[in-house]
Amino acid sequence: MNEQMSGKLTAAALARVFLRNGAFTFGGGDATTASLQRELVANRGWLSEQQFGACYAVSRVTPGTNLLAFCTAAGWTLLGWRGALSGLLLASIPGAAVLMLMTGFYRAAISNPWLASAIHAALAAAVGVMLAAVWTLLRAPLRRTPARAAIVAVPALLLSVYGLASPLEVLALAAGFGLLAPNREIA
Amino acid sequence: MSVGLLYLLLLKATLISFSGLASLPVVRDDLVLQYGVLSDGQLNAAVALARASPGPFGGYVISVGYFVGGVPGGIAGWLALITPALLAVPLVHYVARRAGHPRARSVVDAIVMASAALILAATVPIAMQALGNATLVVIAVASTLVLAATTLDTVWVMAAAAATGLLAAWLSMPL
Repeated sequence: MNEQMSGKLTAAALARVFLRNGAFTFGGGDATTASLQRELVANRGWLSEQQFGACYAVSRVTPGTNLLAFCTAAGWTLLGWRGALSGLLLASIPGAAVLMLMTGFYRAAISNPWLASAIHAALAAAVGVMLAAVWTLLRAPLRRTPARAAIVAVPALLLSVYGLASPLEVLALAAGFGLLAPNREIA
Repeated sequence: MSVGLLYLLLLKATLISFSGLASLPVVRDDLVLQYGVLSDGQLNAAVALARASPGPFGGYVISVGYFVGGVPGGIAGWLALITPALLAVPLVHYVARRAGHPRARSVVDAIVMASAALILAATVPIAMQALGNATLVVIAVASTLVLAATTLDTVWVMAAAAATGLLAAWLSMPL
């Protein structure tokens, strides 16, 4: 276990993770969730994959912005109300401040080639963040039960890419599969 | 329009949607068509600005609030954005109390795999929009490889990418 993985969970450490991701992750809620999955699950081991899955599912059935519901749920899971408020506020305030500033100067902001070039590059990196999150989430199930992983992930991907089901419906189908066909490896 | 009414209208929009931009038709109906305090051009600019900022795309309601009521309006938009997220606490509390049950673990295991597929599906339109030239594709591939092979924090990868973008602009080759 490296130094990052052994990092102790404290309110300040969790706040730093939410603040950094809220302030610097471009690409929308999915990219930020992917980035948080990396920091909270893969790098630091504060959340188990099961806890991540529960928070992710809850964020999808909570009205409003999925990312903020995820941060609230993850923060609550880790540190109760203190963590929930930390996640909700610190993941949203930096972006809100940047957005208000940019709205105030939006004509200049949109046409500035330096800013546009930096944002385009950050959005390209966000694609990498999301692909890496997919890999880290699927790596263990693919090793443990590859057929089961394929049975769940491939239809979920196709249904979503082709717009045949909403994310909520995809998660409901996966939950139904998990309920009706228990995974003996973990159950 | 008062800041309180603006907050309630934006809260109504965020409460009845389940993803970032799903509230857009409700916002347009209330603020553009019914009250006439926002133009379609401002609404489009709000969406574009949210896409170019860190955080969720649903943050466009902050821009909308700012266009309608300045800084207090922006704060009303932010409050409308974060209020529904508090509903996640009782939900995750309910789920956590049942997390030890074998069938519950099996359900969450399937949800983890499906969530990976959903993140992959969400990557497709972002990649199609974001990877407009070879340099951007190289940045995306390099970011993926670095993140998959190391434990480097995402923020450093984002910062390195943004620095590359600034360097390209400095070399008169903006991305």
